[in-house]
Amino acid sequence: MAEKRSPAELKESIKAWLKLRFNFRPIEKHIIYHRVAKHPWYYGDGATLLVLLITLLVTGMFMALTYSPSPETAYESVRQITSGNLMGSFVRGLHYWSAGIVVVVLIYHMFRHIILGGYLPPREGTWLVGVVIFFLMITTSLIGYTLRWDERSVYALGIALNIFYKIPWIGEEIVYFVQGGVDLGRATLSRLYAVHVLFVPFALFAAVGYHIYLVLTYGATTPLEKEYAPATADQQIELRDREKNDPKMGQPFFPGMISKSGTVAFVVFLFVAWLAYTQGPQELYPEANLTEISFPQEEWWFHWYSALAAYLPPAISDTFHWVFPIVVFLVLVLLPFVDRGDNRGAQRRPIAVITTLSLVVALLALTGLRLKSSWTAWPQTELPPLPKGEQVNGNVERGRHLFTKFGCFNCHSVGGQGYSFAPNLSGLDRRYSQDELKNFVSQPPEGVAMPAYKSRLTAEELDDIVAFVLVIQTFPKEY
Amino acid sequence: MKRRDFISIFIKGTGAVIAAVMSIPVVLHSLTPNFTKEENDEWKPLGPVTNYPQGKITPALVKVKEETGSLSSKSVYVWRKSDQDFVVYSRSCTDLGCPLNYDSGSEWFFCPCHGGIFDKEGERRAGPPNKPMWRFKNRVREGILEIDIRSVPAMV
Repeated sequence: MAEKRSPAELKESIKAWLKLRFNFRPIEKHIIYHRVAKHPWYYGDGATLLVLLITLLVTGMFMALTYSPSPETAYESVRQITSGNLMGSFVRGLHYWSAGIVVVVLIYHMFRHIILGGYLPPREGTWLVGVVIFFLMITTSLIGYTLRWDERSVYALGIALNIFYKIPWIGEEIVYFVQGGVDLGRATLSRLYAVHVLFVPFALFAAVGYHIYLVLTYGATTPLEKEYAPATADQQIELRDREKNDPKMGQPFFPGMISKSGTVAFVVFLFVAWLAYTQGPQELYPEANLTEISFPQEEWWFHWYSALAAYLPPAISDTFHWVFPIVVFLVLVLLPFVDRGDNRGAQRRPIAVITTLSLVVALLALTGLRLKSSWTAWPQTELPPLPKGEQVNGNVERGRHLFTKFGCFNCHSVGGQGYSFAPNLSGLDRRYSQDELKNFVSQPPEGVAMPAYKSRLTAEELDDIVAFVLVIQTFPKEY
Repeated sequence: MKRRDFISIFIKGTGAVIAAVMSIPVVLHSLTPNFTKEENDEWKPLGPVTNYPQGKITPALVKVKEETGSLSSKSVYVWRKSDQDFVVYSRSCTDLGCPLNYDSGSEWFFCPCHGGIFDKEGERRAGPPNKPMWRFKNRVREGILEIDIRSVPAMV
């Protein structure tokens, strides 16, 4: 007759059975309860990235249940996901915002390790796998929005193809390879889809798994490392062993470390969920086409690059686009071997701190410039505005119409409104005379990006336009 | 040779064979577009020349594929310089391929992305582009304007 066991005993025995049969012990020993040095909260970006990546995988897999990777049906299936499926907008929103925020956190993660010297011995391997992850993520964050198959998708893809085309010798072959043929079509979308949902996720799964394995083995830069600046891998390992096993300086991974990193990840995840809930996913633009007038824009996490592209002088613009990613890749790969200093931590690495902070400022500034896009001019159909209550008549009003008709308002803003490719013509600091304006409009000086109107305007039309400019230059700069 | 060395070479060898038998065919498989692409001309009609007023730049649609779908047609710009002299521009900006928009007021082409601007001749007037606008080869056959859609790079 079996001995009667209390529920607590029963629970313990089930636990023991599971532990042995599923061999939990090494997992407990090397992962869950392994000792680590205590870390500040801002080391939680790693856990954040993992949570966002899982979010992307899960939402992506479930969207693939509806998505149809064919040019005839892709757009409609995204519409179905967004507005037909239950909670579809939220699911796509989570995917969209995780994709953007993961790029931001990834850049933070990378910059943080440059500042701390996170790639110094013995963590070079961890860093190099990280570089691979970084490029996979950036690539797939672009491919992801080509799958929507709306106008922005084809032009985003077009930008990538045009960059490939600029590579000497093999550029055109790469275009054929990526496009899957001589033009955009079924083969293109199949390829993009396969890369986005199979190739990259598998590669990421392997690379991220390996990255985490290395982090579990070698940890992240510890407080003692910052203090003693170990020169070799052996010294670092010895130092870190002492530190993590010290009752004061060390702690078990669970719950001490996980609670801190997990909190950061949770907060960021909540932020992403809040964005998905309040903002929804990126709106769907008209279906992919090469016929309509379109004003495409890249996703916000690529704004900085777009601003860079706009400021490139023609002499280097072709080369820059394909050289830049290669240079970034080489710099990142070589960094642990070029940076031979022993110092770790922000306080002892002023060059790293200054470089990284300058890059952050540059990225933000470029993003700001992109939001303004003051390099853009665009055909206008509206009349230039007048200050409130102001009225113009006769030839000035005719000039106002001609100002739009002849495309002046495409480039010049008036009263601070319109595109600011060319100078705002109201509130000019230096007032122009009628003759000066006439000459300027007829034949702009050499080097000024403005059409010469001398053969296109009648004497009357020129008079009218100039009359209008003479009036608006006396108006306030902005109204 | 020791038994152990032999086994080691054998294992590496089998691994290499598996890797080669798998990877060479799949790589070639994925490179199919590069080996099967047709470099031939492909002339497509743009409609009767009478559609295009002399001296003007007119947008036109060219059917690039028989299959339906939103990408079956492309917009191009036709400039009838004189009675029989046509220039057919691609809308694709030569910087990064964004769609140029022609404005008949200024007679310039505007790119929505990075400030590329081209004049009527297709020459760059502002922004990062380093090349003049892409031109399709064109011909007039029995009063119909035709363009060779393969006369520009594949992504244009």
